[in-house]
Amino acid sequence: MSDTATLAGVQAPEQLTFSFVKRPGLLKITIVSFLLTLITLGFYRFWARTQVRKHIWSSVHINGEPLEYTGTGMELFKGFLVVFFVLILPIAVVTGLIGFFNPQSPLLFMIQFAVILAIYVLWGFAVYKAWNYKLSRTQWRGIRGALVGPAMTYSLLFFGSLMAKGMSLGWATPVMNTVLQEQITNDMRFGDAAFKFKGRAGPLYPTYALCWLLTLGAIILVSVLAIASAASWGPLFSEPFNDQPQNAEQIAGMLIIAAIVLLLVFLLLIPMLWAVYTATQMRVFADYTRFDGAPFRLEATTGSIIGLTVVNLLILIFTLGIGWPYINRRIVRYVVERLHLDGKIDIDRISQSKAAMPTRGEGLFDAFDVGGL
Amino acid sequence: MAMEAVFFDGETAHDRAVRVERVGNELHFQGENTPLTRWSIAGLHPIDPPSPGQPFRLTHDSQRGSRLILRDDAFINDLIASNRALRGGYTFRHLGQVLGWTVGGLAVAAALGWFAMSFLPQQLAHLLPDSWRNRVGEQIVSSLVEKARKCETQAAMGAWSAMIAKLAEGNSNLPPISVSVYDVPIMNAFAAPGGRIVFTKQLLQEAETPDEVVGVLAHEIGHVAHLHPEAQMVRLAGLQILISAISNGGSGEWAGNIAALAAIFRYSRDAERQADEYARSTMAAASIDPMGLKHFFERVFKQEKGISNSTQTPSATKPTTLEKIGNIFSTHPGTEERIKDIQPLPADHVPAKVLSDEQWKSLKAVCG
Repeated sequence: MSDTATLAGVQAPEQLTFSFVKRPGLLKITIVSFLLTLITLGFYRFWARTQVRKHIWSSVHINGEPLEYTGTGMELFKGFLVVFFVLILPIAVVTGLIGFFNPQSPLLFMIQFAVILAIYVLWGFAVYKAWNYKLSRTQWRGIRGALVGPAMTYSLLFFGSLMAKGMSLGWATPVMNTVLQEQITNDMRFGDAAFKFKGRAGPLYPTYALCWLLTLGAIILVSVLAIASAASWGPLFSEPFNDQPQNAEQIAGMLIIAAIVLLLVFLLLIPMLWAVYTATQMRVFADYTRFDGAPFRLEATTGSIIGLTVVNLLILIFTLGIGWPYINRRIVRYVVERLHLDGKIDIDRISQSKAAMPTRGEGLFDAFDVGGL
Repeated sequence: MAMEAVFFDGETAHDRAVRVERVGNELHFQGENTPLTRWSIAGLHPIDPPSPGQPFRLTHDSQRGSRLILRDDAFINDLIASNRALRGGYTFRHLGQVLGWTVGGLAVAAALGWFAMSFLPQQLAHLLPDSWRNRVGEQIVSSLVEKARKCETQAAMGAWSAMIAKLAEGNSNLPPISVSVYDVPIMNAFAAPGGRIVFTKQLLQEAETPDEVVGVLAHEIGHVAHLHPEAQMVRLAGLQILISAISNGGSGEWAGNIAALAAIFRYSRDAERQADEYARSTMAAASIDPMGLKHFFERVFKQEKGISNSTQTPSATKPTTLEKIGNIFSTHPGTEERIKDIQPLPADHVPAKVLSDEQWKSLKAVCG
């Protein structure tokens, strides 16, 4: 019976498994990209990014069949050109002209304010468009992805979430992140099959509260230590040191070193602390996401996220940024190797996406320098 | 020999098992629900460079959405051997294209840059309103001389008026100008927007005859008449806009730094030649001996060469911006060559006396 079903082209629903199969050749792409970007004064970066994506996408296998990236450098370049000539250049010309004719003009300040406001309003738009572009250029088994909603809804939501997060001293973060994730995931398609996101922010709050309170505690602790040390060493400075100037210098030096060490520890500890929340949010959001009815599962842990971030940072520093393709690959690999889809999908039933393909790449996203994947 | 392969038609995610066969310069494949399809080998495109152990994915010019997936290494190698383009990755053609576009792009950028920097500002300068020229001229002068003392006497003003009147005899279209002298310990003279001409005390002291001063004055009036300072400001604003566009934003602060100000008064050789030409024709028509200017430049230039810049009398206080920018040679390129071009008055012209001895004395003494 199963034989006849296969012959008729009707296969049983399958379990999907994700795997990362490393391909050789990234080093060559990295070196060539760097050299060509250098001699083209940066303009090759659009093609470089495309080459790297093609390589990484091909390493992601789902049931043995690799993903495919179909974007081109020219599309990214066109996206850049449009943003440059429609947005960046006019703003530069207007502010330049006002500065030229009247540098003291209040208009100048108002325009700068408007530009900053526009960047915040458009940020979500840029994020959405960038995802739409990447999904529309991502194929598996010849079928592409899409985002089918209006970008403006997400954009306004994004702006609102920034305001809410700021005004609530961060406490709105889990709710807003959940709403944003829900908005974008429910617009997401693979062919004609839909992704669904459903769930409440509640389960994120215990972890968020823990991280928030520990951060506050750390800030208070550091402030108290700083004040206390300043107070205890303070009298030394007010007294005449002329008889033992070396001693004073030593003490001042030690104080400065102590302050720097404290600050460094602080700056490293806080992001590590928040990795706890990041891991939780990733796990919870994966749990809330379904593809064609099947739920996802992501084995993200605090330790592994810290490890990923620290090594990526080291690569960035020690290759002076040239090693960015490796960082991108490590991020993709991290997710792919920990992602599971629990449930069976009738793959053969999925047909090509009818959503219109965007014709240009993520120009705005690029302009905001968020870059990355 | 036929191989097992998988075909995706780009319409559904259904994987269709097909048997592929190489027939001459074509790949033929068909399966249970895939009709016989013929793809020319020349029209094949690899999705990725072939990599051992990885499926080799192909598409074809005739069906861009379709994918044929091969997994047999021997078959793949055989195929690649007959169409090198299937190796994928970087090719010399790819690199050639990048280089071609780079060179072409740089050429276009250079052409646009030349247009924007040399041609356009001079045209736009004529459109600037007088109110702007006056205000910016004032700002420029005050930011250059900063706290330096302005030297002003009734007698000296009379001397300047006399010189201007003398020049006006040769050119009835002299632009409206105002001349001022500042106590700055370098030798320079410059024109700012709005017809503002500034002389330094040192320049007046180095000059030996009124002909020398009037020659420099005529040259600076030439800059004013051609709106060179205004054009330079437009050029600078354009540069500022370009820089802020490239750096994705930035502010409208544009005339603040010394490099920018230095750039304003360092004209092109063409502009200097225009000002020279203006001075020459005006002076000739007014019967003023241009040899005074020539001698002045020659003398000063010789001095300059002999003494290095460092021995210039340093000012006791914080140097003004004008001092940092330097003397007349650092703001007037090609002076040495231009000196040679100064010709004496035609034989039938009797050199006119520009200033009375009284006026000349009072001008030299303007800064005390």
